[in-house]
Amino acid sequence: MNMVKPAGLIFGIVFVFFSQTILAADSPMDQLKSTIDSVITTLKDKSLDSEARRSKIRVLINDRFYFRAMSQRTLSRYWKKATPQQQKQFVSLFSKLLENTYVGRLEAYTNEKVVYLRERNKNAKRAVVYTQIETGSTEIPINYKLARKNDKWLIYDVVIEEVSLISNFRSSYAEIIKKEGMDGLLSKMEKKLAEVPVKTTNAS
Amino acid sequence: MIIIDKNKRNILLFIAAIPLLYSIQGHAYQSPEGIMVAVSNPQTKDIKADDDFTVDDEDEIKVNDPFESFNRAIFKFNDELYTGVMKPIAIGYRAVIPEKARSSIKNFFTNLLAPVRVVNAALQLKGQDATNELVRFGVNTIIGFAGFLDVARDDFNIKIKKEDFGQTLGHYGMGSGPYLVLPLWGPSSVRDGFGLLVDGVYLDPVAYLDKTEDYLIVRFIDIETTISLDKDTYEAIKKDSLDPYIFIRNAYTQQRTGAVNK
Repeated sequence: MNMVKPAGLIFGIVFVFFSQTILAADSPMDQLKSTIDSVITTLKDKSLDSEARRSKIRVLINDRFYFRAMSQRTLSRYWKKATPQQQKQFVSLFSKLLENTYVGRLEAYTNEKVVYLRERNKNAKRAVVYTQIETGSTEIPINYKLARKNDKWLIYDVVIEEVSLISNFRSSYAEIIKKEGMDGLLSKMEKKLAEVPVKTTNAS
Repeated sequence: MIIIDKNKRNILLFIAAIPLLYSIQGHAYQSPEGIMVAVSNPQTKDIKADDDFTVDDEDEIKVNDPFESFNRAIFKFNDELYTGVMKPIAIGYRAVIPEKARSSIKNFFTNLLAPVRVVNAALQLKGQDATNELVRFGVNTIIGFAGFLDVARDDFNIKIKKEDFGQTLGHYGMGSGPYLVLPLWGPSSVRDGFGLLVDGVYLDPVAYLDKTEDYLIVRFIDIETTISLDKDTYEAIKKDSLDPYIFIRNAYTQQRTGAVNK
């Protein structure tokens, strides 16, 4: 009779404990969605000035993009040849370039509908989330490749209409390294970042 | 794109076929690096040390581009035409015609190209895709006001599947051949350029317009509509990448490889 109560209590505690762990380990899709939603909300937030908006977005992106992994994939065999100093510099420059690219594109599509189609866990450490941007006249498939680091799923590649961004960067960077070496690439990247951003026309 | 008299079509096709035949035979255009290598290894290399991403887990794409300097010249020409003429017109068009209307015009042109998709899906023996495209064409033409509304997509959830003759050739095992940048058109390859010509001459209804001026006007509206709806993709690539030519070459190759395998 009295046995029922402790059993129920234990069950309750165990249940609460488990549900919390489940909540903590959101699926790759949930985690990705929360980041993209926050970025879009921030982009739309008229109360922020452009500087504040940008730094808020930077925090969100740094939290979800696996820049070190992206850098390694981009440099591929050249990563191991680079000195630790060069590696460090590359990660820092590359993350800024990627951030610019990604935010620039998101800005253009802020008012379009993002649909989260499905996710596929390749194994415990890798997953792909399939999304789609739907505009009035077309659908653009965007797949995010994610790697798990502790409880977090981090983006290590973005594939837009079959085109892997990392593969694209890799091929152009490899050509530059071949011709001008790692330092040549690094100085080119620095120069690119220093350029005044070209103002794009307001697409609609 | 291509403007030709109907009776000159076959001659043109024949001329265009010559480099294609060469590329089928192989070797003719092969650079020392060899033709495109795509190594796919999706499952086996998935699990790796957590922090090492230098070894890739999927396709490494190499592009065969023996005509690079020539291609870069055309690329520059296209860039100037786009930036100096086509884009400014598209921006004006954007300002005057609302997006909804331009989307409808785009739908109309997409629907018009249904023969390209139907025939090429059929040639690849993709029965379901061919049927879908046929149904899409019927539905959109009849209840979608001649294709201005994509009723098939919006109300029946039948989605477009792009097929073209380049994909058909690829489906039957033909490699892309050397990369080509075509004047006015942009990135292509020997195979896809030939495919474009076949589709554009035989399967594109617009090519059956009698007058060259009509053809030009229709094509012009089509292209400007597409540019106006695009969200400055090309400008973004130019702004962000260290070498836009290589970026686009790689993107095109990846996209076509994906399209052929679908």
